[in-house]
Amino acid sequence: MAAEAVLDTHVVREAEGGRIPGNKGMWVGITCEFVEFAVLFIVYFVARANFPDAFQNGAERLSRVSGTVITLLMVTSSFFIACSVNTMRAGKRRQSIYWLVAGLIVALGYPVAKYLEISSNRAQGINGEEGLLFNHLVHATWGILGILWVLVRHSFGGYSVEDHHGLEALASYWHATDIIWLVIFPMFYVLA
Amino acid sequence: MSTSHKTPTTSLVPLTLCWLGLCILTLLSLGLGQWFHAAAWLPLLVAVIVWFKGTMVARYFIESDLTHPFIRRVLKGFIAFAPLWLILTGFYGGQFAQWGSLFLKH
Repeated sequence: MAAEAVLDTHVVREAEGGRIPGNKGMWVGITCEFVEFAVLFIVYFVARANFPDAFQNGAERLSRVSGTVITLLMVTSSFFIACSVNTMRAGKRRQSIYWLVAGLIVALGYPVAKYLEISSNRAQGINGEEGLLFNHLVHATWGILGILWVLVRHSFGGYSVEDHHGLEALASYWHATDIIWLVIFPMFYVLA
Repeated sequence: MSTSHKTPTTSLVPLTLCWLGLCILTLLSLGLGQWFHAAAWLPLLVAVIVWFKGTMVARYFIESDLTHPFIRRVLKGFIAFAPLWLILTGFYGGQFAQWGSLFLKH
């Protein structure tokens, strides 16, 4: 009953102009994040147009396995967190917490994979001063800290079927960070 | 006033299918990069795959079809931004470099 009531509320919000997943503040942050990365992408593409050989040779030295593993980790953790939101909507609080824990564990694989990649690069003499990739790691770290915070709140009953905007806000941020990685992945690991 | 009856889903099936699709496309784009790394059309295909993957995340994970029009536009714009640049620099990289050097000279 409660889940149906919440879904009806969502229909009303949609009729008023559309839903805001999570809250407005989070979407201001996500929009700023998109603008920041859009500027970095422009810098990347201008540099690539001017020095195509350097980019081609550099990309060939990066580990495609690392890039693929990070992509699969990002996509999978995003999927688990989306499942956490949907199960919460259905009123299955315990399942929602389990999905969130799974999302956190998989998300933690990203910094680990990145650390291994950087260590491997340094062993080959690549100094790893790549701002775009590090910047994404910083954003992902904020996301992981956010998952931890939401998990603590969720474990102590902070969310309900009627009000789980905090969980949805975190999910939106993590999905946006996932979208950014999906753009970065081919730029460094596919187009060698 | 038009009233839509779309509601946020509680089903995990669309999410699972989306996740499977994203994993397959990731492995496919990696394979394409290795098999056809010298092909002139590779940036175009990679750009299409990037756009498609971003759209899948927005549509199924964020449920962008149900969101406020501003959020929908922001997502659409950002997801199309990098693929467009990929295509432009992939096919017209030389001209971009020339324009860039003109700005630098002045």
